[in-house]
Amino acid sequence: MSRAALPPFWSLVEAHGDELLVHARRMAGEANGEDVLQDALLRALRAYPRLRHAAHLRAWLYRVTTTTALDHIRARRREVLTDEPPAAVADPEHYDDAFESLIGELPDGTQAALRLRFVEDLDYERIAARLGCSPVAARQRVSTAIRTLRTQGIAA
Amino acid sequence: MTLPAKLLDSIASAAVREGLADAVYTRLDTPIGKLLIVQGERGVVRVGFPDERVDALLAQVAAQLGPRIVASDRELAATRDVVAAYFDGVDERLDVPVDLSLVRSDFRRSALTLLRNEVGPGHVVTYGTLAAKIGHPKAARAVGSACATNPVPIIVPCHRVVPGAGGVGSYGGGPQLKRLLLAREGAKFA
Repeated sequence: MSRAALPPFWSLVEAHGDELLVHARRMAGEANGEDVLQDALLRALRAYPRLRHAAHLRAWLYRVTTTTALDHIRARRREVLTDEPPAAVADPEHYDDAFESLIGELPDGTQAALRLRFVEDLDYERIAARLGCSPVAARQRVSTAIRTLRTQGIAA
Repeated sequence: MTLPAKLLDSIASAAVREGLADAVYTRLDTPIGKLLIVQGERGVVRVGFPDERVDALLAQVAAQLGPRIVASDRELAATRDVVAAYFDGVDERLDVPVDLSLVRSDFRRSALTLLRNEVGPGHVVTYGTLAAKIGHPKAARAVGSACATNPVPIIVPCHRVVPGAGGVGSYGGGPQLKRLLLAREGAKFA
């Protein structure tokens, strides 16, 4: 019943693909955006029939793309640091765990901002309201955190 | 949408390769306009005429086969070639696997299967004759419904089924299109 309500997957790709690519590039760097988006959409496709409702699909795709981007960053970081095998592909149902383990090292305020942005999918107005700062500051906090993660990924 | 075509192709092909696609679709330019072709694992499940709404049609396929539907010209290249060859008149057999799982009753399925297997290009059959062939000589009307709801027009050639009383009868794509297809195939009908 809920299955019938899910739209054909490609209609989501057509509707949101562009902005997801922008997001993937912003998260993982210009050169990695397309790889990240491909992985993210395949992950999403794997999980798609198990979704229990057809609401908030755009926000869901954003979350999957975010997690995939963070996994890419982390995998790159490992490649640089050690000979460990690349990070196992996170089960799409547990992407929050992967997300948490990645942001665990960051300052608390930064973690909160990232969670509000990428787990709760809030806009900067609402993030600002929750954190008690201005929207500009909220945006800055998130973008600084992403830059930190990305820098660790490439250079650490 | 402005995502690079190469990226979209790559995503769709990876999805098919990994068995993640419930169905794949493609749109093909033909002399009768842009056809939509949707294919599942076992064959073509749906052909849409140019005037049918693509999103509604794909939603209908999704409800039946599952929502993991992707677009790829490349993955359906073989099917595209066969349909193009039909319209070019190079090879009119339309020899591609067909999956009639969108057909709602066994009766309709057997009527369409028989039609596809026995009525080749250039030939026509009446609703009554087709009904008799599947063992229900009085079911001409039901055969008409089977044709009217045929999810795979052109490939399952319901355009080759005509009324016993003469004329071309009705057609999902309109009677003019039916007449055109029959004329292209060189069929003689009253």
